[in-house]
Amino acid sequence: MAAKKSNNEGVLSRISESPIVYKGKRAASDAGFVLKKLAKSTGKAAWIAGTTFLILVVPLIIEMDREAQLVEIEAQQASLLGAPPASSSPQLK
Amino acid sequence: MATFIQPPPPPPPTAANPEAVKKPVDYMDLPCPIPYEEIHREAMMSLKAENFEGMRIDFTKGLNQKFSLSHSIVMGPTEVPAQSADIIKVPTANYEFGANFIDPKLMLFGRILTDGRLSARVKCDLSENLTMKANAQLTNEPHMSHGMFNFDYKGTDYRTQIQLGNGGLVGASYIQSVTPNLSLGGEVFWAGQHRKSGLGYAARYNTDKMVTSGQIASTGMVALSYVQKVSEKVSLATDLMYNYMSRDATASFGYDYMLRQCRLRGKIDSNGCTSALLEERLNMGLNFILSAEIDHKKKDYKFGFGLTVGE
Repeated sequence: MAAKKSNNEGVLSRISESPIVYKGKRAASDAGFVLKKLAKSTGKAAWIAGTTFLILVVPLIIEMDREAQLVEIEAQQASLLGAPPASSSPQLK
Repeated sequence: MATFIQPPPPPPPTAANPEAVKKPVDYMDLPCPIPYEEIHREAMMSLKAENFEGMRIDFTKGLNQKFSLSHSIVMGPTEVPAQSADIIKVPTANYEFGANFIDPKLMLFGRILTDGRLSARVKCDLSENLTMKANAQLTNEPHMSHGMFNFDYKGTDYRTQIQLGNGGLVGASYIQSVTPNLSLGGEVFWAGQHRKSGLGYAARYNTDKMVTSGQIASTGMVALSYVQKVSEKVSLATDLMYNYMSRDATASFGYDYMLRQCRLRGKIDSNGCTSALLEERLNMGLNFILSAEIDHKKKDYKFGFGLTVGE
């Protein structure tokens, strides 16, 4: 026991030079590299998807909403004027 | 008289149009097909939106019922063709003056731009079935001016067209309805100046819910398109273009929303190009246009806005 305690440093250095630790370090740095690449490409994909969404879908949602509002207003007007609300007949102004 | 009785249709008649399904096909009384060059019309309408960059203002003023004048201002960057991969854009501004004469029998359109381009179009009904169309374009650049004459003959279930252009261009096309839904056509052309000739075939199948068309030409072009009308306001379109000679293929998918206040067209294609065009009706005869186009691969971003005044 005493002998082991006295050359503690030697054990540390031996551990750090051991092939297992070396392999672990390599693996960690590789993993870091891959993660960085992955994050970068994910970010790029998210950017492309986001801008595409902004161009293709956002105007569509806004316009559909406007159309729905218009239909609702027309239905209200029709019901106020006494016409059957289901048929959106042209209103006389 | 070859009148066939169709075999009974397998699906039960729908509630919307029960009489249309039951009727036997009279092959002597087929509908007239659409012109050969408009075979992809629905797909083009949905997928080929006129995206622009910068600002544009169009103003049309009718002087009387038949005669109208148009003014148009376009400002913004335009691409200059370059050898290198990156895009070079040059700011330009143009004013276009046009005069239109529209009569049921005769249509005349003239356009002149400040950079010296002049174009004229004539569409004239010579008789009930025969129509003459003429196009001419004059520019100050050499070899860019051209003229063309088209003679269209519309039969009961076929259409035929003869094309004559400068540079020795001669072409003819023919399209025939085969069944009430299917029409087949073909074309030949010969360009005398370039010593080139070609042959093309096309087919089109349309029902009231969908339209599909295909075209193949000896120049190596193969074009397929499909349009599905989801509802009265919404249609979805997809097309595939393939060039056998240069081995490049492009597929695109788009939507076309025709709402009461606006028309919105969006498209995405296999080159990574996304575009949308919104035409918003602000008032009677006043339209606001927003255009966006993003090309991620080339890093080319185009945005534009415009106004259209007058009908």
